Amino acid sequence: MKQIIRITIGLTISCLIAALLMGVVFTITAKAKKHNEHVQVQETMLDLLGYNGANPAPPDLKLHNIYRYILKDGRKKYLGYMIPVKEAGSLGYKLLIITLEGKFHELIDLSISPEKAIEAQERETALNEALQPPVTFTYADETAVAVTEGKRLAYLVRGEFQGFKTFITIMLAFDPNFRILGMEVMEHEEDPGLGGEIEEDYFEDQFKNKTFEKIKKLDVVKKPLPEEYRKYLEPKLRRTLTGEDLAKIRKMYQDADIYALTGATISSKAVTDGVKNATKKFAYRIEVLDSVIAEHRVAAAF
Amino acid sequence: MPVTKKTNKQLFFNGILMENPIFRLALSMCPAVGISTTVMNGVLLGIAVLFVQVFSSCTIAAIKDYIHPRIRIPTYTLTIATWVTIIDLVLAAYMPEAYKAMGIFVKLIVAFAIITMRLEMFAAKNPIIPSFWDAVGMGLGFMFGMMTLGFIRELLGAGTLLGHDILGVRPLLFFILPAAGFFCVGFIMALFNYVELVFKRMKEKKD
Repeated sequence: MKQIIRITIGLTISCLIAALLMGVVFTITAKAKKHNEHVQVQETMLDLLGYNGANPAPPDLKLHNIYRYILKDGRKKYLGYMIPVKEAGSLGYKLLIITLEGKFHELIDLSISPEKAIEAQERETALNEALQPPVTFTYADETAVAVTEGKRLAYLVRGEFQGFKTFITIMLAFDPNFRILGMEVMEHEEDPGLGGEIEEDYFEDQFKNKTFEKIKKLDVVKKPLPEEYRKYLEPKLRRTLTGEDLAKIRKMYQDADIYALTGATISSKAVTDGVKNATKKFAYRIEVLDSVIAEHRVAAAF
Repeated sequence: MPVTKKTNKQLFFNGILMENPIFRLALSMCPAVGISTTVMNGVLLGIAVLFVQVFSSCTIAAIKDYIHPRIRIPTYTLTIATWVTIIDLVLAAYMPEAYKAMGIFVKLIVAFAIITMRLEMFAAKNPIIPSFWDAVGMGLGFMFGMMTLGFIRELLGAGTLLGHDILGVRPLLFFILPAAGFFCVGFIMALFNYVELVFKRMKEKKD
């Protein structure tokens, strides 16, 4: 009996010490980790839009972040969009509250600058100031609208969904007609060599240039990737193809379904369905948002 | 096993050659067979295992007098899990480039047999400095083993090395599949045994 007590105490103390150590390291590294994540997200966004070292973004390119929240007032639910607005020459944020049926409800000023709005903590403080107690809010997601020369260039949408193991996070870039400009897998915990191949160009780039109509019916086909298509997708092998080969292959596989990864059908299907859902939902939501903005002449910055 | 009689230098080379974790102790065959498809994977995983092994061995060697014998294994697992988490967090915060490449591997290390076994066989019975050198030897031996396997499998399976195209053609795709991992490990084990046999004969001839 004494042994059991000693063992239990020993194990409990070890667990507590381990938890303490991990907690300390977490608190110390949390800020640097968030900073790295932000930088990576920025880089991925620019990369998806086609801008990189060799082809830098135009100086007037602005990425406006729209944050979506779900508001609850007693039993009623609303959608709250934190949108950037142009006021007297500078950018501020306002909370546009829309009912679930897509009708305008309220427009509230927020005291937060675009730089601070990137941090979830800052947004929460601003929202707490603006909304009265019976109303609670939960964060849903965020979208970035790339604007250049006063026109919308692209939308950058995040999607998070269940993969084979745990969650997969992706970033999608659409043009104003919801044609996919690019897809990038940001986070996943799939097996390296199998599901982990969703990170590879030859899988991600299959989604490029798919039209909105095709995405709505997108499916996964369990056939090996055709050799010529693979050459087209992988940047290193692409150089071996001529200009007219590229055009021919692009046209042939324009409306093809996604070729599943060998040994990773579930991961492939999860990503495809994730892209489909994210696109459909986003297209619907941005339409509703745009119509409310137009109707009530909100001075949105995008 | 009582306190070891080997010198630190002997412990170091022990881990790389005489008691190589993959080819002689036959431990941690899972990553050896599954993840050694390229040399780069082998290097990254080897580095991660090296760090986890060194830190865990030193920790256990330091607290070995306070561990109740009945809860040794949970304590080892707890130590390994704590160190893996700490290394994961530190990498994500201060070395984002390395984290992008190694991130997935680091989380898998918790389940490796080599680390738990080494803690049980060595670190729990020996002081800190010998444990440190043993851990370094084992970690480097593991990395060396993974690199060898990765070299063979990548060259013969994909025709590349470290991502650079060497052969320009893929000789035998079979080598990238797990079954080939078993074959390669088996052949290299046989090679190690043969070399040991030859060494023994040479030694006997001398005496």
